[in-house]
Amino acid sequence: MDNVSLILLALGSVTILSSLGVLLSRDNFYSALYMALTMIFIATMFTVFNIQSAFILIAFIFIGAVGIVTVALAAVFRYVPRKVPVDKLWIIPTILTIAVLAYTLYKYATFNLSAASSVDIAAFQSQYALAVVFLICLMVLLMISIVKMVRREEVCLK
Amino acid sequence: MFEVAIVMITAMVVLLIAYLTAISSRDLIRLLISLEMMFGAVFLALIPVFSIPEMTNTAFGVLVITIFTSSSELLVLIASIVLLNRMTRDISTDVVSSGGDVL
Repeated sequence: MDNVSLILLALGSVTILSSLGVLLSRDNFYSALYMALTMIFIATMFTVFNIQSAFILIAFIFIGAVGIVTVALAAVFRYVPRKVPVDKLWIIPTILTIAVLAYTLYKYATFNLSAASSVDIAAFQSQYALAVVFLICLMVLLMISIVKMVRREEVCLK
Repeated sequence: MFEVAIVMITAMVVLLIAYLTAISSRDLIRLLISLEMMFGAVFLALIPVFSIPEMTNTAFGVLVITIFTSSSELLVLIASIVLLNRMTRDISTDVVSSGGDVL
């Protein structure tokens, strides 16, 4: 096993352990912290394959913006939820999903995953300019919708 | 040799843990956390596409679109949680009376 595989194995192990922390922690605040940790490890796995731009995007937008707001929200609404029993019937779709994924892994596990060639940002901008404009429009529309929702709710409360 | 297996197994386990967290959640904050973990598993599943030289820019485009749309979706959910708390003073899933099946 080469160095890349060992680093990936270590990163995958800590990612799974921190995501288990989300599941096992009963306090939402600690769950949110474990979630942010999981996302950081996931972003780090991109850097192993020389995709630093993806790391920056995930770290800045997903962890830096959404993740931190989630941690703040969990800290504000901090209470320990009661334990909920899980229906045993969920075992069937879980086993089916694992079987499909395991077959896919068995089929493609030997695919050679080389280090990715670096992303050409200039070419990306010219190829995906329309998509970027649409994404900006989407975010502005969502913000306007949220402001409208908040104003309507304030009127209802009055 | 087994890099794909390691990445995909990690994505699979994180996704299953996120599903389990979502199933067992009784408040919207935990549901939000599980959704973020599901998107994390999706990001991991994109890594093998980056190793194909012809697909690098396409994979980056898919990643950018995924990050922006998922972040927008999660921010709307955060706003909804705040609004629900202002209206009902409770963020448990029991108080959400519209949408989904009646159990």
